[in-house]
Amino acid sequence: MWVVCLLFVSTSADAQRERQRPDLRERRVFPPGHPRYVPPDTQQPEIYFPQAPVPGKWRRSIGAVFTTTPPELTEEVRVSVPAIDFNIQRGLTKHLYFAGRIQTQVVQSNLGIGLRWATQVSKRTFIGAGYDLNGWFGALQIKDVFNSQAYGVQTFPSLSVGYRLTRDVQLSVRTEAILDLYYRSQVGNLAVVYDQRRINGVAFTVVLEQPFYDNKHVSLGLRAAYSNFNWQLWSLYDTFDRNLFYPQLIFGFIL
Amino acid sequence: MKSSVYILLGLLLIGFESCRKDYEAPVPYTFTNTPGSGRFVASVRQTMEGVYGVTDGVGQFGDQVALKWTYVLNGADTTHYLSIFTGVDVGYFNLEGDPKADNLVLNGYWRKLVNTSTGLVRLTVRTKHNGVLEPYTGRLATGDTLVVDGLYGENSGTPTQKLTLTYRRPLNQRPFSILAHRSGGRTSDLLPASENSLEIIKLASRLGATGIEIDVRYTKDGVPILYHDNTLNLRLIQKSGLTGPIEAYTYQQLNTLVRLVNGEKIPTLEEALETVINNTSLNFVWLDTKYIGPMDKVQAIQQKYRQKAILSRRDLRIIIGLPSTDAVASYQALADKENTPILCELDTATTLGLGARIWAPRWTLGPQTQEVLAMKAAGLTVFVWTLDEPKFIQEFVSQNNFDGILSNYSPIVAYYHYVEQ
Repeated sequence: MWVVCLLFVSTSADAQRERQRPDLRERRVFPPGHPRYVPPDTQQPEIYFPQAPVPGKWRRSIGAVFTTTPPELTEEVRVSVPAIDFNIQRGLTKHLYFAGRIQTQVVQSNLGIGLRWATQVSKRTFIGAGYDLNGWFGALQIKDVFNSQAYGVQTFPSLSVGYRLTRDVQLSVRTEAILDLYYRSQVGNLAVVYDQRRINGVAFTVVLEQPFYDNKHVSLGLRAAYSNFNWQLWSLYDTFDRNLFYPQLIFGFIL
Repeated sequence: MKSSVYILLGLLLIGFESCRKDYEAPVPYTFTNTPGSGRFVASVRQTMEGVYGVTDGVGQFGDQVALKWTYVLNGADTTHYLSIFTGVDVGYFNLEGDPKADNLVLNGYWRKLVNTSTGLVRLTVRTKHNGVLEPYTGRLATGDTLVVDGLYGENSGTPTQKLTLTYRRPLNQRPFSILAHRSGGRTSDLLPASENSLEIIKLASRLGATGIEIDVRYTKDGVPILYHDNTLNLRLIQKSGLTGPIEAYTYQQLNTLVRLVNGEKIPTLEEALETVINNTSLNFVWLDTKYIGPMDKVQAIQQKYRQKAILSRRDLRIIIGLPSTDAVASYQALADKENTPILCELDTATTLGLGARIWAPRWTLGPQTQEVLAMKAAGLTVFVWTLDEPKFIQEFVSQNNFDGILSNYSPIVAYYHYVEQ
């Protein structure tokens, strides 16, 4: 939360400075015909930055999310579990857009769909709100070890703030609540279900989106989730009723 | 600009890591550990055990609980404790009789193992005779009902909230092994004693266990000790400057320089079995083979303490667990396998081929009803491990196929077993 507060303070101070002095970066715009020329109304490639795509236009990214396991669950073993991460977004109106996301580790996957609303509040600052619904599924068949599967549904209401640092470097901060709607776990032919809605935890994400190479752009970020349950670790059958810390490293190529 | 952004992201990463919260659940009550049972004589203790309905306190502890007396031996002294097992959040009470009180008064604390909730408790045992609560003298007339009532609190605060338990029926008497993982429970569950310590072995019965599983490793100089992890790490031990595999250190080094998280020494296997025989009522010890190599020293200790248990007239089984093909190879390399009972965690064919007396599959394979019934028909005992998920524990207990459950949460296994009808 302090990250969000800091950003709000810095953006209001920035707006004051903008009124007081000319922006030197504006003068560095490359002229038409230059390889790095960007038309004034062009949107930078972005996935996390709270700005809707042009209505009817798609934008996509593919990358990986690395989640570090909490010591409470994996004890002396600390591993960074990678998941393939695919994002797709489509503008619906000037401010509203659809967001879809698939994360997969083959034996377990997570499919999310959501709606986001975003608007510009100052020359450099954008804000957004979103509501995502995620379904996850995992199955493990390992001789003498696992005959297990599980699936569940979670929802993520979120608030985002984006700050355009330069013409092509953007910083986004997102705060999410994590709510559990449904969980079903099965071992052999025995299944248990938890269908009470409950607050699972919160997550804070900071993402930098910037040019990478040859006009490509990347998302590079950190997500800190403090939650009671993490779908990627369903097979560890966490029974702690306390929020554990799941740091995540996010990396994605914006296509 | 870009470099400052990267610095900011780096600082955020450090900030996130430093935001990991340390949880604590200190026991709010100091036990007097007075030998004997005071006013709670044998007849009182015997009649008190049972399943009770909860009226005041349902929200916190559920609508029924199981009351069970246990004891700790210390030389000629026996100290009795009352445990109450609840069906909510792996809750339990540890209580002792108040020797100063004129009536049957119990003091102690409650705790929920899945989180850090805890608090003080003070209860009185009475009987409801013709609708009127009277002091309990140890004799129940027809129609009388035992009522255990009093107050409970939060953390170390004075108890102010009402708790009323009313006797419903006796505990389920079906033979069933409640096996506590890591000698009694995990360090990460914030118990008052560290996992694989002598102190947690003494506590195991009060947490509901009838037996324990202990993790055996060798020191550099070949002393079998209790320790779970591959390495010395701050999850299990206090800062000592020692790191790396425990097998890299001699027993003398570990005994002098290393203390477990709650200040205990790392015990030897012999100390652990001595404690089981001399101080507890536990009837089963599962020696989990965490080492790779010869098994002869562990076998010799197992046989020595089996004899000690027989001489002490203790009903105690000490079993060597074989969790892997390496452990099976170590067992098969023993020159003499006589009087060496084993438990096999591998498949049924391997278990039968080894002549193991116990088969212990993982719970994540499911109930495996056909295999379990076939092994039982072949005369084997069947346990399942390591099952902590309360709803699955309830299902496995109610299916009534397994002979026992190994769990980090012995209080909830005890609850579901004792309330089963």
